[in-house]
Amino acid sequence: MLIDVAVNGITAGSVYALVAVGMTIIFGVLRAINFAHGEYYMLGTFGAWWAIETVELPYLVSIPLAVAIVAVIALAIGMLVMRRLIDAPFQIGVVATLGVSLVLQNVVILIFGGSYKMFNGGWIEPVEILGAGVSEQRILIVIAALVIFGGIELVVRRTRFGKTMRAVAQNIEACKIMGVDVPRVVTGTFVLGCCLAALSGALTAPVTGSLYGGMGTAITVKTFAIIVMGGVGNVSGTLLAAWLLGLMESAVAGYLGLQFRDAVAFIALIGVLTVLPGGLFSRRERF
Amino acid sequence: MPPDRTAALSLRGMAKNFGSIVAVDAVDLDIPQGQICGLTGPNGSGKSTLFDCCTGLQKATAGRVFAGGTEVTGWEMHRIVREARVIRSFQKAVVLRAMTVEDNLVLAGQMVAFPGFLATFAIGRANRSGVRQLRERAGDVLDLVGLAHMRHADAGKISFGQQKLLQFATMLMADPRVILLDEPMAGVNPVLIERMIANINRANRDHGITFVVVEHNLDAMKALCHRLVVLSRGRIIADDTPDIVVRQPDVVEAYLAG
Amino acid sequence: MGTDRGLRAAGFAGMLAFLLAAPGFLGEYQVHALIVSLTFLLPALGLNLILGYAGMLSFAQMAFFGIGAYVSALMAMRWGTPFWLNLCAASLVAGIVAVPLGFPALRLRRYSFVMCTLGFAVIAQTLAKNWVSLTRGDLGLSNVPRPVLGLWSSGLEIRSVTQYYYLALALGVIAVLAFLALVSSPAGRYMIAIREDETLAASLGAPTWRYRMAAFVLSAMFAGCGGSFYVHYYTVISPTIFDPYYGNTLLVIVLGGGVGTLGGVVAGSFIFVALSEVLRVAPDIRMIAYGLLLIVVVFGCPEGLLPLLMRRLRTWRRADAT
Repeated sequence: MLIDVAVNGITAGSVYALVAVGMTIIFGVLRAINFAHGEYYMLGTFGAWWAIETVELPYLVSIPLAVAIVAVIALAIGMLVMRRLIDAPFQIGVVATLGVSLVLQNVVILIFGGSYKMFNGGWIEPVEILGAGVSEQRILIVIAALVIFGGIELVVRRTRFGKTMRAVAQNIEACKIMGVDVPRVVTGTFVLGCCLAALSGALTAPVTGSLYGGMGTAITVKTFAIIVMGGVGNVSGTLLAAWLLGLMESAVAGYLGLQFRDAVAFIALIGVLTVLPGGLFSRRERF
Repeated sequence: MPPDRTAALSLRGMAKNFGSIVAVDAVDLDIPQGQICGLTGPNGSGKSTLFDCCTGLQKATAGRVFAGGTEVTGWEMHRIVREARVIRSFQKAVVLRAMTVEDNLVLAGQMVAFPGFLATFAIGRANRSGVRQLRERAGDVLDLVGLAHMRHADAGKISFGQQKLLQFATMLMADPRVILLDEPMAGVNPVLIERMIANINRANRDHGITFVVVEHNLDAMKALCHRLVVLSRGRIIADDTPDIVVRQPDVVEAYLAG
Repeated sequence: MGTDRGLRAAGFAGMLAFLLAAPGFLGEYQVHALIVSLTFLLPALGLNLILGYAGMLSFAQMAFFGIGAYVSALMAMRWGTPFWLNLCAASLVAGIVAVPLGFPALRLRRYSFVMCTLGFAVIAQTLAKNWVSLTRGDLGLSNVPRPVLGLWSSGLEIRSVTQYYYLALALGVIAVLAFLALVSSPAGRYMIAIREDETLAASLGAPTWRYRMAAFVLSAMFAGCGGSFYVHYYTVISPTIFDPYYGNTLLVIVLGGGVGTLGGVVAGSFIFVALSEVLRVAPDIRMIAYGLLLIVVVFGCPEGLLPLLMRRLRTWRRADAT
């Protein structure tokens, strides 16, 4: 049981970590919480599902296809909506991204219907680890998460785009003055963040097993809880906080019951915020 | 040294540190009732921080504050305003832009007309009569201050100088004992500066309100203040009538160096 | 200014006259649509108070709405209490629950406050689903007794749609009057000041935390009332009441109608809820429309549609005069 809980926890945590890094880099450049972030995760899942069911592609191909589809959608939304949030008061960001989430969720429900769908794909054959059966997919998820994390760190630290991203996150006014195409950086970062969410969705789908249009909402809030706990903009903190949440959820689901799982993130969030209310959006942000 | 309980405002050992930076360094100050006391000094000398600590906007690292004999150390700003009637102005955030000039004054007077938290939930006749009286009083104060013609204008639409006059008027509505003005003449044209000085003098003469004025405009200070205190690097380096103080060599040096 | 107020008063009077006569010329389904919009009006007024007047974006309204509904249902089912008692209890319990929730929440700013209040709705839903002995979990409560208007256990039992409608209308009018009294009071003025500039309000003697808590508790009470009527009308309640669907509808009513205004929220309630009920718009299409509306409104006219309309009317009138 303990191994199960640990493995499930690390797996879920790895997924959450990817999504959370996406949200945190978007926040870094835009100073806005993407309330629709979970929806891109959902779209990644649905994209992969659609590719397998309708176009009959193998799972391995469905993943990049799903991410590509979401990238296009994110690009459109980035240009139409997210750009306008630069320098906007935060309430506008909340409402606008909430509006986006409503549209995305319900378009999916409109097209595919509101019922739960089964995901048929991925490698769910179990493998023996420490005396417990762990599905191959979970191992893949953890490895993929670590690889992608490393990749993101590389992008952020070594590439030109990464440096521009950090510059905009640190001082957007200075960037504007120096001629940086801030809207382009914002859109690019946004697309990257959403692709991370979509990738997580596609990777997790075989493990979660079922998908439905409204699955993104819980993800958005859990992700927010993670970045609060891990420190906004702090990538290694996010990783730790994500694994911590994954483990806590797994423990609660295993020992108390699955129905309490989703409340864990909220309670953790409220707990953290009660103890350190001001510490979240301070100027001390690092990439 | 024990605090002066007859003074309008008495500070003992007031100190404020920001980490390793000492903004205010063990200041003792007594301001007798009815005085117009100027407070000046180069940028970074701690004037605004001193104000903030006296009025509850920031918590002092050390020291005690007494207003009219009552200790107000550590009190929250709204409590100092309500109970000790020590009211301060702000340099930039000056008026409530969403309301008219008159409504700004009504709001400021509410703490007098509706004392107590529950009293402010008054509805019906109690509300209407109280507000009517406040509006009448507001009219009087506006006449005094010279803003009567702007009574129904949106506070966000009048000029900056007029906003500062309005801010002054709101402070009068609250029945103050001590008024702390944070650079009331910065960014204001000379005509309105004259009016501001006249208003301060009148309020001081007619109602005995004690004033502490932070300003850089030394000419205005000379004309207005009974006494000038100079701060440099968090300490008082001069404290006398304005004529004497502006000629002291260490004051001149502080201004040139700072 | 004077003609504005005259116009607004005339608008209200006209609308009230229309609403009073409505069952006479509208079909039963349309009257039902009006009842639904009146039901949502109450929590929408609460949201308007906390968002439009106190300046805090709270997602907790539906949590209090649901709590009010469950309290009212349980009282009616277990003790057979009359409607007015259930209503008061629902409102009071919602307000009382808001107090311990307000303590952590009101220390937060911006996103943290929004997410914390969202969290309340989720926790409320989890509680409703799992406290099976009280709420029967996902099955919910059904056969909630119809409202009885009387001093104790006997009195007029509300049965027909028309009777429900007039009860809803009466509640709506009372709520609007209460809201108006509140925002015109000195406390209401303090709340507006706190929304504009909290430090400045404190410097004018306003105990800002107390007013923010008061706004939070009062909005919860508005929502609780709405929930009480809701459960006696639909006679069922289940944890789905805490779904984001309803909370989002509230946001559309307030933001789309005119945040910070009374007429705007009332109009918003009728336009967005009644209209979509009457047109029998499917929920997913409704949500897409709401989502697009939120985006358009927040960028185009953030103060809401009704104030925009009033401004247009004013410029037309001024153009006519010249």
